[in-house]
Amino acid sequence: MEKTGKLKFAFYWAASCGGCEITVLDVNEKILDVLALADIVFWPVAIDIKYKAVKAFPDKSIDVCFFNGAIRTEEQEHMAKLLRKKSKVLIAFGSCAYQGGIPGLANVADKKEVFERAYLQSPSTHNPNCVTPKTSFKVPEGELKLPEFFDTVKTLDQTVAVDYYLPGCPPVSDQVAKAVEAIAKNELPPKGSVLAPEKSVCDECPRKKEDKKISKIYRVYEITPDPEKCLLEQGIICIGPATRGGCGAKCINANMPCTGCGGPCPNEMEQGAAMMSALLSILGVSGEKELEYDAEKLADQIRDPLGTFYKYSLPASLLRRRIMKK
Amino acid sequence: MKDKVGAVLVVGGGIAGIQASLDLANSGFRVYLLDESPSIGGTMTQLDKTFPTNDCAMCILAPKLVMAGRHPNIELIMGAEIKSVEGEEGHFQVALVRKPRYIDEEKCTGCGVCARKCPIEGIDEFNEGLGERTAIYVKYPQAVPLVYAIDRDKCIGCGTCQEVCKAGAVKYDEKEKRIALHVGSIILSPGFEEFDPKLKGEYGYGRYSNVVSSIEFERILSASGPYGGIVLRPSDGKVPRKIAFIQCVGSRDAKIGNNYCSSACCMYAIKEAIIAKEHNPDLQCTIFFMDVRAYGKEFDAYYNRAEEEYGVKFVRSRVPQIGEVLESQNLLVKYVEDENPATEEFNLVVLSVGMRPPKHAEELAKTLDIKLNKYNFCSSETFSPLETSRPGIYVCGAFSSPKDIPESVAQASGAAAKAASSISSAREMLTTVKEYPPERDVSGEEPRIGVFVCHCGINIGGVVNVPEVVEYVKTLPNVAYAEHNLYTCSEDTQKRIHEIIKEHNLNRVVVASCTPRTHEPLFRETVREAGLNIYLFEMANIRDQCSWVHMHEHEEATEKAKDLVRSIVAKTRLLKPLKKPMIDVTPIGLVIGGGLSGMTAALELAKQDFEAHLVEKEKELGGHLRHIHYLLGSEDPQERLGSIIKEVTENEKIHVHLNSELSDVEGYVGNFKTTLNNDGEKKEIKHGVVIVATGAMEYNPNEYLYGVDERVVTQRELEERLTNGGFNAKTVVMIQCVGSRNGEHPYCSRICCSQAVKNALKIKELSPETDVYVLYKDMRTYGFLEDYYREAASKGVLFINYDDENRPRLVQENGKLKLTVWEPVIKTWTPIEPDLLALSVATLPNPDNEHIAKMLKVPLSKDKFFLEAHMKLRPVDFATEGIFLCGLAHWPKSIEESISQACAAAARAATILSKEALEVEGAIANVNEDFCSGCKICESVCAYNAIEMKEVDGKPRAHVLEALCKGCGVCGSSCPTGAISMLNFTDDQILAQVRAALKEETKYD
Amino acid sequence: MTKSEFEPKIVGFLCNWCSYAGADLAGVSRIQYPPTLRIVRVMCSGRVDPVFILEAFRSGADGVLVAGCHPGDCHYLSGNYKLQRRVSMLKKVLEQFGLEPERLRLEWVSASEGDRFATVIKDMTEKVKKLGPSPLNNGG
Repeated sequence: MEKTGKLKFAFYWAASCGGCEITVLDVNEKILDVLALADIVFWPVAIDIKYKAVKAFPDKSIDVCFFNGAIRTEEQEHMAKLLRKKSKVLIAFGSCAYQGGIPGLANVADKKEVFERAYLQSPSTHNPNCVTPKTSFKVPEGELKLPEFFDTVKTLDQTVAVDYYLPGCPPVSDQVAKAVEAIAKNELPPKGSVLAPEKSVCDECPRKKEDKKISKIYRVYEITPDPEKCLLEQGIICIGPATRGGCGAKCINANMPCTGCGGPCPNEMEQGAAMMSALLSILGVSGEKELEYDAEKLADQIRDPLGTFYKYSLPASLLRRRIMKK
Repeated sequence: MKDKVGAVLVVGGGIAGIQASLDLANSGFRVYLLDESPSIGGTMTQLDKTFPTNDCAMCILAPKLVMAGRHPNIELIMGAEIKSVEGEEGHFQVALVRKPRYIDEEKCTGCGVCARKCPIEGIDEFNEGLGERTAIYVKYPQAVPLVYAIDRDKCIGCGTCQEVCKAGAVKYDEKEKRIALHVGSIILSPGFEEFDPKLKGEYGYGRYSNVVSSIEFERILSASGPYGGIVLRPSDGKVPRKIAFIQCVGSRDAKIGNNYCSSACCMYAIKEAIIAKEHNPDLQCTIFFMDVRAYGKEFDAYYNRAEEEYGVKFVRSRVPQIGEVLESQNLLVKYVEDENPATEEFNLVVLSVGMRPPKHAEELAKTLDIKLNKYNFCSSETFSPLETSRPGIYVCGAFSSPKDIPESVAQASGAAAKAASSISSAREMLTTVKEYPPERDVSGEEPRIGVFVCHCGINIGGVVNVPEVVEYVKTLPNVAYAEHNLYTCSEDTQKRIHEIIKEHNLNRVVVASCTPRTHEPLFRETVREAGLNIYLFEMANIRDQCSWVHMHEHEEATEKAKDLVRSIVAKTRLLKPLKKPMIDVTPIGLVIGGGLSGMTAALELAKQDFEAHLVEKEKELGGHLRHIHYLLGSEDPQERLGSIIKEVTENEKIHVHLNSELSDVEGYVGNFKTTLNNDGEKKEIKHGVVIVATGAMEYNPNEYLYGVDERVVTQRELEERLTNGGFNAKTVVMIQCVGSRNGEHPYCSRICCSQAVKNALKIKELSPETDVYVLYKDMRTYGFLEDYYREAASKGVLFINYDDENRPRLVQENGKLKLTVWEPVIKTWTPIEPDLLALSVATLPNPDNEHIAKMLKVPLSKDKFFLEAHMKLRPVDFATEGIFLCGLAHWPKSIEESISQACAAAARAATILSKEALEVEGAIANVNEDFCSGCKICESVCAYNAIEMKEVDGKPRAHVLEALCKGCGVCGSSCPTGAISMLNFTDDQILAQVRAALKEETKYD
Repeated sequence: MTKSEFEPKIVGFLCNWCSYAGADLAGVSRIQYPPTLRIVRVMCSGRVDPVFILEAFRSGADGVLVAGCHPGDCHYLSGNYKLQRRVSMLKKVLEQFGLEPERLRLEWVSASEGDRFATVIKDMTEKVKKLGPSPLNNGG
């Protein structure tokens, strides 16, 4: 690496959709400020730099590594460890690296089930020979190797030590810009911090909040919500109350409920339990002394509780994954 | 004049006596609570469940027992009776004799080893003779005071208990003790005696083993009863399939001289039938009754549920006789249904026994020089239902007339108000406030925990290896000191703990012994005396929840004890000192409603030296009472009303606001700010409490040609005519339940039956030749009102029963009213041509209730009357602190009942108004504003309205009203951001406790 | 510990006013039950947060009992209903996590039901024994 006096940034993607990469570009003209500030020394999505080049970097030579995506393969784990070694500051960038994110929902299954679904059962698959990925395959030229696909999706910090977290699916660009600014000014908070406000999405939500007592849950297509009124109060499950803000309540402003990509609020152990407890406390609260009251029925209204409460945070939850079948 | 004495003697420690004692002690008076038995609690301790909520009786009573037992200003005098009362209102000299208990109350720790070793088994009165107990005993497991007593009639003097008592509490030679008390007022709450069903020989009680009394059946139902809560019959322990309940055993029975109705039996029989069915759904229950007197709040709904949901069968028949089938010991119940005699076989018969005056009523009356009524219940008047014939002596509970628990509790609080107002100048003269050393500041210190592990004689030490536990505890992080004690709760150990805290500079203390439910206050007191905040103390329950339940598994119990102590130590490490916030109190009451209840409440407040604002929306005071011209009994209601209004308007402490309504209420207990609207003019009032006495209204009927034919009137209009001379009818028919007990208003309006009887008697007095018919569904002349019902019948008033299928039909024909009535005896439709038809119309909730409820943030019942905090034990309180309820706003009720409730509301209010500042619990919810995002979830789940949203930097943030928070923690577990902590039970503390209960490591990775 | 003598560990969250009192009464009445339970006292069952239960399982509990006042009896008016709904939901979530929902048990135990409390513990111990050690209980 040449020495320019500028900071050195790296971007990497593990198990993710690519949305986080777009967010980096979403900072628009500020990308130029970033480039003025830092050299991007590694960015597989945009720049062709081989892994072995990274391996050759001196340790701690990358100032900041923005790592997005969860860890589900041997390759991702390897790169996480490598980039940790090479970086002064490692940022878990986006919901997947931070909490496991959408790929983390695969923790309701194991490798075998995932492969069966992806390579055999899904309606769009045509695979008459039932070929599934293998870690090694002999061809006349020799043995081909693929990285191992793990049973369990992990968050970045379950794999390597992480210095900062930038939540969001994807992180909103001004949060990113703020982080970059903090890096530039060397004003980063204590290590381990989440680079987002301490309050929940509700704090940024402009809707009117009156009475949280609800008795029926509606799915988004079932009603046309009043755009002025709190969605949760209208019976739509909005995870905003249990989700760290910083996003400016973007989804809610588009009349869609928050699904929780910001992760748990700072004083909660896990987002799923926090939202579950909150929602089930207010659901049916008005009718609880009545004869027809039925706790079970109220809870039955939520079809896929794990997917609802742990949409972005399953690997980071207390139980982390569905228990492996023996 | 001599200064008055600021102490009250309460005679009888049942629920009424306890309530009166607590109210008085909490408003600045010293209380001596006397009971002839060795513990307080009375009949309620024997009940399994209570109607109409099916609450577990012990669950709701136990906290009150403990409160009374531990109150610094209540002295329990057990096993005592009154010998003489000298002096007068304000200054009574009372001589008592206390029977020996043969146990030193100071030394006995209630550990119970003595009873386990006692060789004697005798009849257990608590289980109504269905079980046995030892000669050294406590009346029931949760007894207060938890001190044993020796029953010398049963004791053989073997000396075992003295030998095994490590506390040295047994005193065989204890003698009778004379006690002299000086008190200002006396409250009588000696309760009642159950009717002895042996006196009704025809029912075979005592001869047939499967005929039991209702109180025996109560014990049979109880989980802590003789059969462990399984419904069995006494003869052979078999599960009964058919149970008959016979009503009015010893009540409404002129033959045996008890003409009165015992008021509670219909409801308790329904309850017992429901609970029995819950135990065993295949069970068939039949209740044989004369009238189902379900006249109280939500009672009819309960009755309907019994019939419709539970399939309890109701048969309107007085059972003349019960026989026994020899082989099966089943019972043959004879009855008449549809005028046909029938006999049915049952496996078990429950006799719903009535209430008799207490055994020693006559003696007590003689000693106290008070009058009894003809049934030997305490005599009182309509407008002074809480006063005995001797000034300064008050009465409450079943001693003044048979009644249920909420009525007794309301009367008890009412009697407390009366007792307090006669000595209000002596408030706080005899109460004690304990002085403590300043609290040591432990902030910043590493936790230094002292652990005291109790042997509890052999209760713990006999099972758990206590020294081993102590050695183990010493290895735990932050444990600076650990030791074991024979009795950690004994007086000398308290001193020792005190010294060790000082010597080892401990900043947190754990006692591993019995249950915090009984002993936490004692140890908290000890650590406080040693300069530590009370919240720096925790208990591990290694007796009740360990050694006692694993008596044969010494090793496992020892391991479990270690786990329990380790887990409590983990919590203790994280304990923080908490402050008990003080809330200022504005010593002024606001009473909404200027009827009899509102005026009475305001007067009672004023008599206790508190200012009161009385708000009435009409232009004059008096409410419904203005329309009542005569009563059952001799008092003149208009004359009384006049004098009450005079008293109210002349009282300097009462500010009457006529033509006024509430337009806004802000604030909370101690600090309310209310805006009154007086014809558009706004007035702001500051006050500390609110009493809701908004009354009710009369139903305006649209049935039976009311408003069409002027010969159809309401009872109230009939009363006006009877008073003002507009009456000259030859045939009068009264129809009951017009607008009540129907689809629209399913409840009973309670007062209309006696109103009809009252007017019928008036007609018979003015015009004896007039024929009077009363068409009724159930005659609900409960209590002593039954006498008037009987009198009316004996004067020729004809009472004809109807049911919903056969309602009376009325037409106007040729200018005449033609009524057709189903005559159930001769089974025909019979025509009557009344000159006057009087409708007993329903009492409806005040339509203003809804908006007043919203303003005060208090709930309404389904029927739109105000809903109290607890139907059984908090009849005049709302769940929201500082707001109280009385009169018809609560439910239709009589004058006596309204007055009792109004006094009760005043007494409850006085518990707040008498304090300069209220000390509230320190273990309450706490909001961290850094995390609160204003979602309002906490506000929606708080049952006490203790959370309000406050604007902080333009955004809503949750704010805990400390005075209202009860510390349940529901908000904390509902808060999705973790902004709310439930102090003393924080997430961190509970999680640490959970982890340490399961694992050796004290820190989780 | 060998599998055949597996003694489950059960964490019990008990409300102070009813169930904790019921547990005390079981003791006062000397009704014996297996030494499998570790009680955590809370003032109201409504205080119990799903996170406590999840943490108990994560820390190796083979079963979790939550017990409160019977419906209508809650000392704090309605905390038990909130708990009841949370538990209904959490059982479904546990099932999705692959943990037998029977390992989590909600019971209403009143202050006078010492016998019932003991029966509940006996029964729960039996049931959890049949389920075997919690798959999350890897420390044993």
